[in-house]
Amino acid sequence: MTSQHDTLARFDSLQFLDGATKRVIKAWIEREERRPIPWSQLEKPLSECRIALISSAAVALRKGQSFDEAGKWENPWWGDPSFRVIPRSACTGDVRLCHLHIDRSFGESDLDCVLPLARLEELAEAGVVGEAAPSHYSFMGYLLDPEEFLRTSVPAIIRRLKEEAVDAVVLVPV
Amino acid sequence: MIPDFTAAVGAPRVAAIAHPTSRPLGNPGDADGQRAVLEATLRVLEQAKRPGSVVRLPFTWPESAKDVRRQRHGESPPIGKLIKRKPWLYLKLVSGDIPTKR
Repeated sequence: MTSQHDTLARFDSLQFLDGATKRVIKAWIEREERRPIPWSQLEKPLSECRIALISSAAVALRKGQSFDEAGKWENPWWGDPSFRVIPRSACTGDVRLCHLHIDRSFGESDLDCVLPLARLEELAEAGVVGEAAPSHYSFMGYLLDPEEFLRTSVPAIIRRLKEEAVDAVVLVPV
Repeated sequence: MIPDFTAAVGAPRVAAIAHPTSRPLGNPGDADGQRAVLEATLRVLEQAKRPGSVVRLPFTWPESAKDVRRQRHGESPPIGKLIKRKPWLYLKLVSGDIPTKR
């Protein structure tokens, strides 16, 4: 971890957070135990890769099922562990954001702030990447107890990624 | 959106960026900026050679952190409201002592 943190020391990761949140996140970081880090080598040039995006902004299609915001208001320790599939053609007007811990005004006025589907298409057209995957994904960040999310949603997302022959995924935390 | 946190939980490759939360790619309408951030992030797939690599992206945010913190719109999150009513629960949050029953 030493060399990683040397690189990160060049800016304060917590600088944009308020004091109370900063203390919480700092404590969480300090409590994380080192663990084996998974690794898959990129097996082809980026320009030939099919890419999918996964955002924690709780992006949901307006015509589809929303995330359970009421449940989180009822019990703030809980969070909806489900995920949504967002097609590559989705636009800002097609979605709403359900993450209750972020300023949703940015992503709801321009989806690419939190799920850059249009930018990914442009990079595919420019030949930087091979193509955008047909499906992209979003879930609700700030899951204080992620057990159910890890047990149910993560394997389901991985299954879909494999079905769609995705080569690499960009996780977009918000 | 907190690169130290992402690295601490063991992401295989981290594209670390000094952008505020809620808009990791950049501001609404800034297509050129967003595209540059996404491309630099994707390039990390080529640059990172070992598990846990952290690559700091060469972007700076145009506003000070203090100004960003002042701008937050929308209501406080549920946990913030709960802690305002019951301040002692803040320590539970800090210590990660999360009640798991719904």
